[in-house]
Amino acid sequence: MVQYLAKRIGRSILTLFVIVTLVFCLLRLMPVEGYFSNYEKMTPAQVQAGLQSMGLLDPLPVQVGRFWKNALQGDLGVSHIYKVNAPVTQILAQKLPISIQMGVCAMMLSLVLGIPLGLVMGRYKNHLPDKLGTAVIVLIQAVPAAVYFLYIQMYGTTALGVGLLFNAADWRYWVLPVCSMSLANLAFYAMWLRRYMVDESNKDYVRLARAKGVSETNISLHHVFRNAMVPLVQYIPSAFLNTVVGSIYIESLYSIPGMGGLLVTCVQRHDNTMVQGIVLLYACVGILGLFLGDLLMVLIDPRISFGKKEGGR
Amino acid sequence: MEQNDRILSVQDLHVKFDLRGRVLHAIRGVDLELYRGEVLAIVGESGSGKSVFTKSFMGLLDANGSITGGTMDYYPTPGGEPVRLSCLKGEKDWLRIRGREIAMVMQDPMTSLNPLKTIGEQIMEAVCLHQGLKGAAAREKALEYLRDVGIRDPEQRFRQYPHEFSGGMRQRVVIAIALACSPRILICDEPTTALDVTIQAQILQLLKQMRQKYHLTIVMITHDLGVVANIADRVAVMYAGDIVEIGTADEIYYDPRHPYTWALLSSMPQMGVKGQDLFNILGTPPNLFAEIRGDAFAPRNPQALKIDFVKRPPYFSVTPTHKAKTWLLDPRAPQVEPPAAVKLLRKEASVHDRTR
Repeated sequence: MVQYLAKRIGRSILTLFVIVTLVFCLLRLMPVEGYFSNYEKMTPAQVQAGLQSMGLLDPLPVQVGRFWKNALQGDLGVSHIYKVNAPVTQILAQKLPISIQMGVCAMMLSLVLGIPLGLVMGRYKNHLPDKLGTAVIVLIQAVPAAVYFLYIQMYGTTALGVGLLFNAADWRYWVLPVCSMSLANLAFYAMWLRRYMVDESNKDYVRLARAKGVSETNISLHHVFRNAMVPLVQYIPSAFLNTVVGSIYIESLYSIPGMGGLLVTCVQRHDNTMVQGIVLLYACVGILGLFLGDLLMVLIDPRISFGKKEGGR
Repeated sequence: MEQNDRILSVQDLHVKFDLRGRVLHAIRGVDLELYRGEVLAIVGESGSGKSVFTKSFMGLLDANGSITGGTMDYYPTPGGEPVRLSCLKGEKDWLRIRGREIAMVMQDPMTSLNPLKTIGEQIMEAVCLHQGLKGAAAREKALEYLRDVGIRDPEQRFRQYPHEFSGGMRQRVVIAIALACSPRILICDEPTTALDVTIQAQILQLLKQMRQKYHLTIVMITHDLGVVANIADRVAVMYAGDIVEIGTADEIYYDPRHPYTWALLSSMPQMGVKGQDLFNILGTPPNLFAEIRGDAFAPRNPQALKIDFVKRPPYFSVTPTHKAKTWLLDPRAPQVEPPAAVKLLRKEASVHDRTR
């Protein structure tokens, strides 16, 4: 198991290295404006001198090597446009906590509501709870998020008696963005859990459990539920991490100083070092999500073993 | 056998399924007396209603199926008050029967265990549910059942998952689960079909032992006549949702009376003659969506009588334990010879008798 984990982690790191290197190289193709905050006023000689001093005229492999050497020491360079000469890590450190906190809350909410909803829908398939749940899910999935996000903001702020601008110190300001963020995942969990539960309910082991004299409710809870969670768990970490790295729309709607807005701003304004830093972060997050997903599957399903090809059907 | 020895009594049972507005008449008036401690084999081809019939004992019919006529009485104790199974409605009533009184072993051991629970958990679930035991006592009991069904290192196997067991071992576990319910009737729905031949024999042997040890009444569904000969006391032959012939195993083997039973026995591969095609029954089973007139087997029976197409035959008794639904047993019927293969079996039987 340790060996498998080591291998799996090693491969993840390799993937990360390739992605970030690739993006680094691609960004070298961008116009050099992105390295200067007052490019319009500079003479060509000044630009050349600036590039020279930043080491950007060196051969590409040298630049890549330097980038990784610095990155491993926790130095991702400085921003040139977004916040002139502020270290990228420092900017990220300011933005990340609020996004993580909000992401954790949204994820908790979507799990706490979505999983039981799916469970109840699967247990009472084609009955009232299932039909109501389906209506809610269809509403969430079919109506463009932009539309109901706006409604939530409009009516929610009035109902809670809060202003439009986010204020991290007051818990009431958290309610609306967190709820909005959780909706998509909530619908996702409920819909797939219901579907997997319905699939599992037709399996032989459920028939045996019924013949054993287990009640329908206990069959759903003790037999079907866990089996239905197997295909679902692998998506949970990814879904969570995607929430963390930001919902651009919600952050801009409530003016939350999080990660979502940051990427858009930096890309639009060609702040190359910032883009690089954010891409590194997002790549880490994505790969970590996949890794944790696989790990969760192994923990929940004894048939999936680490490494060795054995057992299972 | 004596009247008060019966454990299950079925009278004129009808089961119908509603399939998108069309009605399928799966069980068409079955009578059956099941006696305490016996092994009854139900044989018949696919679609003859064997599984549906036994599932109705436990209220396990699919949601679109229901008992539409007849009665089914279960006698928990000899001569005691019966429970009318055919009148049970709803889950609460059935939970008193399922497992606790009547348990089931299913066909495919590869899929009938929950893949995410250990064998121990799955046996203990039944023990806790039906024997009122908890914790260490339940665990001890579950281990005992594992030992009973011949699983070595039960302590270690207890903690393992189904995928760590072979097919035959899994079927043993399924049997252990059924035993852990401590039922009086055990329904085995083709328990050996999915297993290879050597394992089949072991499983049958095990069922015989368990029947002795736990005083079980076994209903064995199969279409393997070899299995029948191995284990059954009595045999019921089902065709198109009805028991067309029932008798002791010897009677059915060596003195069958219904043309369908003849056909079934003739089509055993062992009956084949080298160089000749194996016997097969012509045609297909009747459409159970349509109303069946007369003897359901008549259209496939080359020697069918005229009356077979008009009037459904009642049971004619051959001996007190042997009866068949065929007009051939009517005193007015012409003499129809059974096929050569059946005669061969009869001759073998008489040789047996002389040597005995």
